Amino acid sequence: MSTPGTNAPSGSPGSSNPEYVTARVRARRGALFDDDEYSKLVRMSPAEIARYMEESEYEQEINDLGSRHSGVDLIEYALNRNLSRHFDALLGFAEGQLYDLIARYLRKFDAWNVKTVFRGVYTDADSEAIETDMIRAGEFDDALINRLLEAGTVEDVVTVLDGTMFADGLEAAFEDFQETDTLVPLENAVDRAFYEQLLGNLPSGEAIDLYREFLEAEIDFRNVRNALRLARSGADIDPGEYFIDGGRLFSASEMSTLVENTDELVSRIRESTYGEKLSEPLDELEAADSLIDFERALEGVLLRYSKQLGNVHPLSICPVVAYILMKEREVTNIRAIARGREAGLSETAIEQELVIL
Amino acid sequence: MSLELASELGNVVLQTGQSGGPALSPSAAAALGVGLAAFGAGYAERGIGAAAVGAMAENEDLFVRGLILTVLPETLVILALVAIFLV
Repeated sequence: MSTPGTNAPSGSPGSSNPEYVTARVRARRGALFDDDEYSKLVRMSPAEIARYMEESEYEQEINDLGSRHSGVDLIEYALNRNLSRHFDALLGFAEGQLYDLIARYLRKFDAWNVKTVFRGVYTDADSEAIETDMIRAGEFDDALINRLLEAGTVEDVVTVLDGTMFADGLEAAFEDFQETDTLVPLENAVDRAFYEQLLGNLPSGEAIDLYREFLEAEIDFRNVRNALRLARSGADIDPGEYFIDGGRLFSASEMSTLVENTDELVSRIRESTYGEKLSEPLDELEAADSLIDFERALEGVLLRYSKQLGNVHPLSICPVVAYILMKEREVTNIRAIARGREAGLSETAIEQELVIL
Repeated sequence: MSLELASELGNVVLQTGQSGGPALSPSAAAALGVGLAAFGAGYAERGIGAAAVGAMAENEDLFVRGLILTVLPETLVILALVAIFLV
């Protein structure tokens, strides 16, 4: 992987090879856990889940980590490692334009890692604890991640990130951080940098146009989620700060007014292009008043959207992104099961936590 | 020089025009057809082959199936060969 965080228009020579990549991606998608396996997993103890995983896709990771960790930790680290192995492999066999598009999307994990380091440093966690939460699937190489882990203060982290795509936004955000002593401005700067490079000068083409629409939907959903959370928490924060540019649903100033009036926000979503897809979860939201269920429904809608897009344009970035989302979701699901079992939640409670297509 | 060439070319064109026959003999046209069909088959196999190798990399059991699917467009060339025997 080349210089981290640069947004070069072509990072890999040659034309793209969507046939090869999508064939491999589809095979891997087929290996993901299905309904039956989830219902089996829900009934297992953490140790049994680990044993079950050893006989599946996760064999290599469980074997590698089995001697050092156990229980839920083993599952969690194995999941993270497996995720980065698969996504690194994606970058390994994609070429040309396809490589660029996948790399852009996978920088999500760079953003994740940076945020994790910020939180870890802020709460004085030791670097070993931070390291276990890292997902090395993005573009940052091990050297950079190690330097991030060695950083002792938030300022150090910002300095280490100098030269990456996050640098510009972080500089301004750091001043805010010094004034307010909350991580919010820094985390928002990271998110914003990620989404900016994700949508910035996308190539043209029919499939890419649809892909852009999908990314816009992802951003919109994020904004909706943030708006609802802010409305719920009732905290006195400027919602515009959380706003991510690039969506189609509303602008930063609109979001500020909509946060104050949830009903208006809901009706706004209903009237938008997402109204049809989201009508059921919105009904539930209004009836049951449960934000968690709604957020999970949003994710389900997004997953289905990406999957459908992958069927419309089988030879493009679309099926790859669908796979990335599904794999991520699987990891989150298994983690929820393992954590839930450990905490002694009932099977139905855990099942509610899962998003299964 | 170029003028000479042009007039000679004109002569050639006129000559073929005078003889009244088609520009291509039937067997030449058939050969061209087979060639184009082979080109099309090759282009089709490019994509299928890439996908088949990708599938095989994930699961070696797919070798036979991938091989069959990869050479399917070859039927284009076999059908085009019929044209050779018809002329």
